[in-house]
Amino acid sequence: MAVILDLQDVTKAYDEYKVVDGFNFQVEEGELRCLLGPNGAGKTTTIDLITGRQKATSGTIMFKGRDITGQREDKIAKQGVGRKFQVPAVFKELTVRENFQVAFSKNTDPFHNMIRLGRRDGRERLRQVVEIVGLQERLEEQGGNLSHGETQWLEIGMVLTQNPQLLLMDEPTAGMTEQETQQTSEIFNRLKGEHTLVVVEHDMAFVREIADVITLMHLGKTLAEGPMEIVENDPKVREVYLGTEGITDAA
Amino acid sequence: MRRVNLYHDKRAQWAVYVVFFGILAIIPLSMDDPFTMNQYSRYGVFAMLALSVSLVWGFGGILSLGQGIAFGMAAYGMGATMQMQYQDPVNDPIPSFMLTNELEVLPTIWEPFWHTHLGLILAIGIPVLFFVIFGILMFQARIAGAFVAIMTLAMLGAWYNMAYDMQPYTAGFNGISPPSAFVAFGVEVDPYSNLIYWVSLGVLCVLTLATKALLQTKFGTIVQAIRDDPERARFLGYNVAYYQIVLFALAGLIAALAGLVWVMITQFVSPTSLDIFFSITMVIWAAVGGRMSLFGAIFGAMFINAAQSYVGDEFQATWFIILGAVFIIVVRFAPKGLAGLFEYVFGFIPYRVRGTSGARGDAHSASE
Repeated sequence: MAVILDLQDVTKAYDEYKVVDGFNFQVEEGELRCLLGPNGAGKTTTIDLITGRQKATSGTIMFKGRDITGQREDKIAKQGVGRKFQVPAVFKELTVRENFQVAFSKNTDPFHNMIRLGRRDGRERLRQVVEIVGLQERLEEQGGNLSHGETQWLEIGMVLTQNPQLLLMDEPTAGMTEQETQQTSEIFNRLKGEHTLVVVEHDMAFVREIADVITLMHLGKTLAEGPMEIVENDPKVREVYLGTEGITDAA
Repeated sequence: MRRVNLYHDKRAQWAVYVVFFGILAIIPLSMDDPFTMNQYSRYGVFAMLALSVSLVWGFGGILSLGQGIAFGMAAYGMGATMQMQYQDPVNDPIPSFMLTNELEVLPTIWEPFWHTHLGLILAIGIPVLFFVIFGILMFQARIAGAFVAIMTLAMLGAWYNMAYDMQPYTAGFNGISPPSAFVAFGVEVDPYSNLIYWVSLGVLCVLTLATKALLQTKFGTIVQAIRDDPERARFLGYNVAYYQIVLFALAGLIAALAGLVWVMITQFVSPTSLDIFFSITMVIWAAVGGRMSLFGAIFGAMFINAAQSYVGDEFQATWFIILGAVFIIVVRFAPKGLAGLFEYVFGFIPYRVRGTSGARGDAHSASE
């Protein structure tokens, strides 16, 4: 399969301190990749660099063979990169339905959107997404009134509505109950194959459920990469998590 | 069948607008009082300003304390247009205040105002263009929140001082008082007449309904999304700055039209139109009425101004203190203003609607 996302020697430095340090990272089309690592390993910064929220100090980021390094967030998004934030971000004053309508962002020109009625836009896509993430009964509810788990699903649903080829999910199960996490892993297993996903996650049970390949980051670099069993038993990994029972507990 | 708040019913909202403007339109028929008509026309202008604040702040999340910039610029443009309607190109080509300021030829920037149409276009076009440029400067740099308030306020102060200091061109502190009423298409718009009231109300009505319609398009939903979380909108592929600039300019357009009508009513323009207190007051009208409701904002402007007239002269000195106190109470205890209270009350009224308009076939068939 083709490589859809390719980070070559990407570095992000604040003065002397390198948060991401010559990071190399390739993701193939249709893959679900988990990005793990202790706090401060540079996971969220990496997501920021890919989506344009922060600018890389050096290195190149290629998406679908095109260089997207340092482009503006909305331009990267329009090329097919979707992002879910670590702290769930939805439009709190809008209804769930309106949240999805805004997420249906095929045409982003303000003047074009002045002659479009929001309610008619992307109805078919809304039906498909709601079928995946649920929330059927909550469409008229205000975004700010949803429970924490529902908010996470809404944001996942919004990113899906965008229909991006690459989905970057920053801790999608943070704060979820066990049952909600279970439902989320079902969602992710459905998305696999059709979409390419990069998931930053701390919940190891969840990672076992969904991941094909995991990349373990440490101090801004790749420490280990491969299937779960191999990474887990890597001596370098054990060294980093010295004094613990391996990555399962440390994460 | 699902339960909804009648307050959120779009058809009910439009019905309220129709009834509201319908009632206001027939007021002059039941009274013959030119002074009151002039007074009510002014309320119409204040309502336009509150509408512009509601659009940019309530729906766009941009707290602009500089709506007076567009208002004042347009007011000066209109003042110049009306002044030049009075001047005679041959016998009396230079306004008297310029002569007293020792100007012997008409300044170049005043020349276009010989032509009424060009004058009107400039009176509206220049402030809108200025808002576009000012908006680009602020929003491209991702300035938001209180910093927008500070920058717009500072800019307003700068324009105030310019109007004040450039006496030969603006008549400075005294302001411009065009000696005759505005004439359009051969019709004189007498500031003390039913006509002026209908002009003011008509402009307000068209602006309100156009804004209401605009907010129901996808553009309207997107600007509200940007208000809630600009970062999220950005990662969905929207150029947030572009939307903010367009919205800011549209709010500037509304404020500019208000300035234009204002000078038709008052036949006077001075630096007070660019006064900082005045622009802050507009924000208070919108906040008290309900910034997230166009109707609330309009009503707030009319209600507060009517109250100010009603309490009479003895309270005028303390009026700002009263207004300030009301503002603090509203912001603290009822952030959605009077409209928010209505929304709350309507929530108790049982009102059901069939899931037809727009909702049909979306997702109900897929429900578990």
